[in-house]
Amino acid sequence: MTTRQKIDLSVRFCGVTFKNPFLLSSSPVSNSAEMVERAFEHGWAGVCYKTLNSDRIPIIHPSPRMAGYNYGEKRLVGLQNVEQISDRPLKDNLADFLYLKKKYPDRPIIASIMGFSNEEWGWLAKAAEDHGADMLELNFSCPHMTVEGSGHKVGQAFHLLEKFTATVKNAVKIPVLAKMTPNITDMTEPAIYAKKGGADGISAVNTFRAISGIGRDDLVPKPNVFGVGAMSGYSGSAIKPIALHFIAEMAQCAELDLPLSAIGGVETWIDALEYLLVGATTIQVTTGIIHYGYRIVEDMIEGITDYMASRGITSMADLIGKSLPHLKSTDHFDLKRQGVAQYDLERCVGCGQCYIVCRDAGGQALEWDAQERRPKLDEDKCLSCMICSFICPVPEMISFKEKPEGWARRQTPVKDEGFLKQVKVAPFHGA
Amino acid sequence: MSYAERFQEMEKGFDLVQAMAEADRCLLCHEPPCSKGCPAETDPGTFIRKLHLRNVTGAIRTVKMNNPLGGACGVLCPTPRLCEKQCSATGIDRSVEIGKIQRALIEYSWKTGLPSLERPSQRPEKVAVVGSGPAGLSCAAELARCGISVTVFEEHAEPGGVIRYGVPGYRFDAAFLKHELADIESLGVKFVCGTRIEGARGVETLLSEGYQAVFLAPGLWGAERIPGGENAKGVFTSVDFLAALREGRANELAAQIDGKSVAVIGGGSVAMDCIQCALKLGARDAFLVYRRSFSQMPAEENERVAALLLGAHFMALNQPVKYETDGTGKLTGITLLRTRLGPEDETGRRAPSGIKGSEWVLEADVAIEAIGNRVGSADWSGAVKVDRKRLVLADSKTGKTSAKTIYAGGDIVRGAGLVVEAVQDGKLAARAIREALS
Repeated sequence: MTTRQKIDLSVRFCGVTFKNPFLLSSSPVSNSAEMVERAFEHGWAGVCYKTLNSDRIPIIHPSPRMAGYNYGEKRLVGLQNVEQISDRPLKDNLADFLYLKKKYPDRPIIASIMGFSNEEWGWLAKAAEDHGADMLELNFSCPHMTVEGSGHKVGQAFHLLEKFTATVKNAVKIPVLAKMTPNITDMTEPAIYAKKGGADGISAVNTFRAISGIGRDDLVPKPNVFGVGAMSGYSGSAIKPIALHFIAEMAQCAELDLPLSAIGGVETWIDALEYLLVGATTIQVTTGIIHYGYRIVEDMIEGITDYMASRGITSMADLIGKSLPHLKSTDHFDLKRQGVAQYDLERCVGCGQCYIVCRDAGGQALEWDAQERRPKLDEDKCLSCMICSFICPVPEMISFKEKPEGWARRQTPVKDEGFLKQVKVAPFHGA
Repeated sequence: MSYAERFQEMEKGFDLVQAMAEADRCLLCHEPPCSKGCPAETDPGTFIRKLHLRNVTGAIRTVKMNNPLGGACGVLCPTPRLCEKQCSATGIDRSVEIGKIQRALIEYSWKTGLPSLERPSQRPEKVAVVGSGPAGLSCAAELARCGISVTVFEEHAEPGGVIRYGVPGYRFDAAFLKHELADIESLGVKFVCGTRIEGARGVETLLSEGYQAVFLAPGLWGAERIPGGENAKGVFTSVDFLAALREGRANELAAQIDGKSVAVIGGGSVAMDCIQCALKLGARDAFLVYRRSFSQMPAEENERVAALLLGAHFMALNQPVKYETDGTGKLTGITLLRTRLGPEDETGRRAPSGIKGSEWVLEADVAIEAIGNRVGSADWSGAVKVDRKRLVLADSKTGKTSAKTIYAGGDIVRGAGLVVEAVQDGKLAARAIREALS
């Protein structure tokens, strides 16, 4: 047990110090100094400011611009948006930079920028640097852009991504992050292009192209913008597991070897911790704030501090990437070791959901005692899929236990052995 | 089950998983109204948000920082008329069960040994607390948290005051109290039990011994009486009856009550405790005698219903007139006068008046008077100003009395109040003492 006062949450990221790893991501939550100021007061260490625009193309947000995705009664597990980049004049945003830098000199501003031409990328980068930005984030990933050579279209066209990164690097001295779209298969590939262009770090992920729902009366996908829906950016808790894998994959990529700023479904300190453990140095948040407000950072800070105290860890370096040695490809599994589910029937309430799922989706390893309303497990048939434990309403009533060496699972029998005689297939001997 | 066992343990509360599920129902309000509804500023809006966001240790820390008796309040608070009454979720279906969440957090901290408060570095100041009930414990914990040495003097053999000797064990058990006290002791608070501070003289002695301030929180250990009760055999006061149960004298009481007819007089929470205890001790019939109506009883709704469901017979609109005894002075019954409700009195309640000639005798072997507590035998008037009822006069925001270094809070100031109110008194006085000493 370490005292909480000794714990240091600060991180060095691309040469810039942040007092903790938690930042606002470039989005509606970082739209103005008024908002960012309030966030800083709650404890956010820095901001990726809403993507700057050079005023060349007018930005008008569709209305309405978001749709929530619920799971049963659980509200807002996911969020879809058709938000655009900042619709404020560049001058106003830069004035807000100056205000924030004066009032909060220790809170880095990461200016997100998006150009529509090579020249515009360099011009915006310089404007941001000249007005106090400590770092840049190149928005190669906004999923709502239809113009070729902008937003996620860049993120999918790797040579453009490299070129624009190089242009920005030539224009400024401050560190440059490239923000990745998840709407691809392998993120390490474009990330390496960004590195070739000179990027100092990678931010990921932007939102996933998705359809969060369809109106059952009007048949219009959501959000319904006056009769029209569009595939657009989806975020929130629902995408966290997928975003987590993108970060881990980049952290494991020796060729990439760049610091990472993780984005994707962070609401609690546990979410943040998981991103740190797979190699992120900073954590960016939007949907969590859209759900709960800036106040969630207080719980992220307190929660992670208590976690570190309980493990005797005092610096972030002792957390970042610490799960990576345990993360391997599936061919590393020791398949000789096998186990089964075990049931603590003393605590069973007799709902029988385990029986249903084992029968219909598992190994038919359970029998149902209708009199007692209890499942009875035949261990030799248990597949150890553990789905019974996922749906069981009694916490930790069903757990995994390893079987001794030499134990073998019983094969699933054929329904009618009489048909075996009719099976005419010779063993495969091909290459 | 032995008589004693019927009183030992309270019902299980939520485990952490249930508490989290309940916290997930919380609407996480802006400017949480529940937090405004807590007399001790325990701030449920914050600790439930923390739990909702899986910041469990932080949630426990919030409860403990704001309320050193957070566990006890989670169990004993009449939450439906405090924090839960303010809950915005009632506008949708029903309030979040705040008290149960609070209790679960504290029990979880005991189960897992999760530390939430760190012991501060010691300061030179020394303060004495008289009485180890909710007000005294709260004041002691708050002072100890900022490094001040605190010694708590308790007249009874064990610390806890009213939450040990004035509440039956099935409502608040000894094991739970032991944990709560251990948390307070871990802050460095010292307890001296079995030591009575004798009124004004006792306080002077403490001050002369080097204590720089004294917090008076002795509680109310005297009982209001019905004339004649002192002399009839078989008549108890609620104070003596409940304390006897907590002192392990269940068998002795059962010998008088099992199979007998018991009358409990009063309509408050203590009366409900007494009648339920009588039934648990085997009373054949237990009558609750109350001069007003069921809806006018000050006891909480759930307490009234629990008593009814346990088998109590409620005799509303009946006023005790006198005890009936046999030749040996043993109680045989109580003469009651039927009442009717007239116009509203100054409290806004319809006032009862006796119906002439309606006297009747309720046969009873045992009577328990639960009509209110008052100041016990200790006289504080030499040390501080007191009122007509001998309650100590103290400022409600600081606990300051008429004497410079003497503070007071809890029932000795406000009359019989809630645990959570006493906690706040102790906390506020501790802050004032800290300020005065620094």
